[in-house]
Amino acid sequence: MAEVYVEEFMSPGCTGCPAARQMLKELSEELEGEMTVEEVDITVDTTRAAEYGIMSVPSIVINGVLKFTGVPKKEELKKALEEEFETDEPS
Amino acid sequence: MAQDKKEKRIGVFICHCGKNIAGGVDIDSLLEYSKGLQDVVFVIDNKFSCSEEGQVAIQNAIKENKLNRFIVVACSPSLHLATFQRCGKKMGVEEAFVDLIDVRKWTMHSSPHKVNHEKALENSTKLIEQAARRMRLKRRIPKVTIEVNSSILVIGGGVAGLEASLDLADKGYKVDLVERLPTIGGKMALLYKVFPTNDCAPCILAPKTAYANIHSNINLLINSEIINVEGYIGNFSVMVNQNPRYVDEKKCTGCGLCVEKCPIKVIDNEYSRGLGKRKAIYIPYDQAIPKKAIIDKQNCLYFQKGSCKLCEKVCPAQAIDFEQQPKEIALKVGAIIVATGFDEYNPTPKTEYGYGRYGNVVTQFQLARLLDIDGPTKGRLLRPTDGKEPKNIVMIQCVGSRDENTNGYCSSVCCMYALKHAQIIKEMVLPDSEIYICYIDIRTTGKGFEEYYRHTRELGVNFIRARPSEIVENRETKNLILKVEDPDIGALIELEADLVVLSSATVPSRGTRELSEILRLNLDENGFFKEVHPKLRPVETNVRGIYICGSAQGPKDIPDSIVQAKAAASCVDTELRKGKIELPEVVVNSVKILH
Repeated sequence: MAEVYVEEFMSPGCTGCPAARQMLKELSEELEGEMTVEEVDITVDTTRAAEYGIMSVPSIVINGVLKFTGVPKKEELKKALEEEFETDEPS
Repeated sequence: MAQDKKEKRIGVFICHCGKNIAGGVDIDSLLEYSKGLQDVVFVIDNKFSCSEEGQVAIQNAIKENKLNRFIVVACSPSLHLATFQRCGKKMGVEEAFVDLIDVRKWTMHSSPHKVNHEKALENSTKLIEQAARRMRLKRRIPKVTIEVNSSILVIGGGVAGLEASLDLADKGYKVDLVERLPTIGGKMALLYKVFPTNDCAPCILAPKTAYANIHSNINLLINSEIINVEGYIGNFSVMVNQNPRYVDEKKCTGCGLCVEKCPIKVIDNEYSRGLGKRKAIYIPYDQAIPKKAIIDKQNCLYFQKGSCKLCEKVCPAQAIDFEQQPKEIALKVGAIIVATGFDEYNPTPKTEYGYGRYGNVVTQFQLARLLDIDGPTKGRLLRPTDGKEPKNIVMIQCVGSRDENTNGYCSSVCCMYALKHAQIIKEMVLPDSEIYICYIDIRTTGKGFEEYYRHTRELGVNFIRARPSEIVENRETKNLILKVEDPDIGALIELEADLVVLSSATVPSRGTRELSEILRLNLDENGFFKEVHPKLRPVETNVRGIYICGSAQGPKDIPDSIVQAKAAASCVDTELRKGKIELPEVVVNSVKILH
C-alpha cells in the first residue's frame, strides 16, 4: 500500500505551526493511503532539523525530503502528498 | 540516488548502555519486536554501542548483512548521532540513512522522564516502529560544498566578546565587533575590583580593550545594534544599525572640553548606576575605548529646545556634528559569536526590601561604583541620602535568585562579590564598620574561592544564615531596621543598618529575546541563550555557525566567561579554517531564492 512519512518540524512558540498541523490532520483524513505524521519539536531535537538544513518553523519533510518552509498552501501540500502516494516506491 | 533504488536493508542496534537502558526496559522484547518490522534484516543488542567494540560490531554487521540503512536505539542524537554517522560512513552508509533514537530518557534512573518497565517498553517499541518506517521511506539528502566567508561577527564588547574577538583576530580572521553602548568593556569595567585576587578591574581589562581598539583585524562598531541576519554558516548577511554619536569619531581627541562646558547635568544610569551625574555630552569614563565624546540626544538642550551648541563652540577639533544620522551597515560573515552578557536584576518588585523607596538601600553593582576610586564618590563609601559614612552595613544575598517568585536559578557570582565588597570595606575603606551578610548558603566553588571566604571571615565579617523578612526605614535618621531570625542562636534579632546592600540576581541582558528572534536561537527557561548540550556542547547553539559565550549563556564569573569565549573562538576556527563546508543543498538553494 502507498505510504508517506511526514515530519512536521515545529516549536512551542511558533505561530504558524498549529495551522500546518491542522492542514496535515485534514489531509491525512482526505487522502487515500497510509500517512504517518511525526511532530518534531526543534527545541527538543535540534540535530534532526540541522540534518535537513531546516532554518525556520514550521517546516514539512515528506519521505526524507524537505518540501515546505513556512505554512504551505493547502493545495500545494495536497499535491506534494499525492505525488508521493503515486510514486509508491520512493526513489 | 543509487542507494535509494537498491533493496532496503535496515539494521537495528539496541544498546544496553550498561544498565542505563537494560535496567529499565526488557531488551529481548525490543529485539523480538524489531525483527518483525518491514525491511529490517538484522537486529542485535550491544552492551555499549558507542564503545570501540560496539562500533566495530556495527561495521561488521553492515558488511556481513549488506545493510544500507541502520538505526541505533540508545541515547540522545545530540550526544552520539555524529558518532554513528561517522561509523556508518566508513562502511559506505550515507549520513541520512543513519538514525539514533533516544529511549534512555525513559529508562535511566536519574532521568526526569523515567517511566516504569511496561511504559518504557511501550514507548520504545513505538519509537522503534516510527524510526524504522521513517528510515524505510527516507531519501538521500543532497549535499553541496560551498566556500565560506572568513569574517566573523562578535555581538557584545564585554570581556567575553573581547576575548573571542582577540583570539580570532590573532588567528588571522577579520572580526566585526558590534557593541550597543558607546564604549567596549561591558560590565567588567564597572566592577572596581575582581575576585579572588582583588585586582583592579579596569587595569586588567584595559590591555584587552586597548588591543582590540588598535588590532588591524578588528573592526569596532560602537553604539550599534543588529537589526537583521539572514543566511547560513559560511554565508551570513548581517545588517547593523549604527546610532549617531553627534561627534565625529575621527576628529574627537577625547580632551573633555565640551563636557566641561556643557550646562546640562543628568543622572548617570550607566556608569554610576544612578548614584552620580554626568553631562548631556559625555565620555563614559576615563579608560573608555574609544575615548570619544557622545551626545545624549534626550537631554541635550540643542536637540530639545534648539539652542545652546556650547560644545560646538568650544571644541578645538570641530568634531561636533549635530547632523549625524543613523547609519545602516551591511556585513558578510561566516560565523557569529553572541556575547551579550547580563543585566543586574532590578529589585524594586521585591517590595519587602524597599529598593527605590528607601534611599539607603542599594545593589551590589551600585556599591561597586561607590567603592570605585573613579566612581561618583571618588572611592569614599558615603550613604546616598546624607553623604555620611555608614557604620553598620547589611548585605542580603539571593535577591531575585533562588526564589520561585522571581528567578529560580542561582546567579552564581553574588556570594563572591558580596565577600569581595566586604573585604574591600574592611581592609581599605572603613575598617571600623560592622558588616553583616544575610545568606541562604555561601557558594564558593571556584579556584581559590574557599580561601577567599575564609579570609573574609577572619576579617570579622558577621554571617547570618537567614533572609530578613522586611526592612523598615527610620524616617528621621534614614537608618534601616531589619528583623532576622538567626538559626544559630535560635532567636529573632533586630539589626539597625546605615546602609543595606542587595545582592541582586543576574538576568539576561536587555534585548536578548529580540536578538534571539533575529538569530533564530533558542532561549532556555530563564531567558538565557540555550546551548545544544549543557555539558558537552556548551557554546554551540541550534543554529550551526552561531555560538554563545559568557553570561549570555547563563550567570558566570570572569574566568568562566574567558574559557567559554576561547571555546567559541575555537569552534568558529574549526568550522571556517578549511575555507569550504558541506551543507544540505536545500539550505543553499532556499537562501538563493530569498535574495
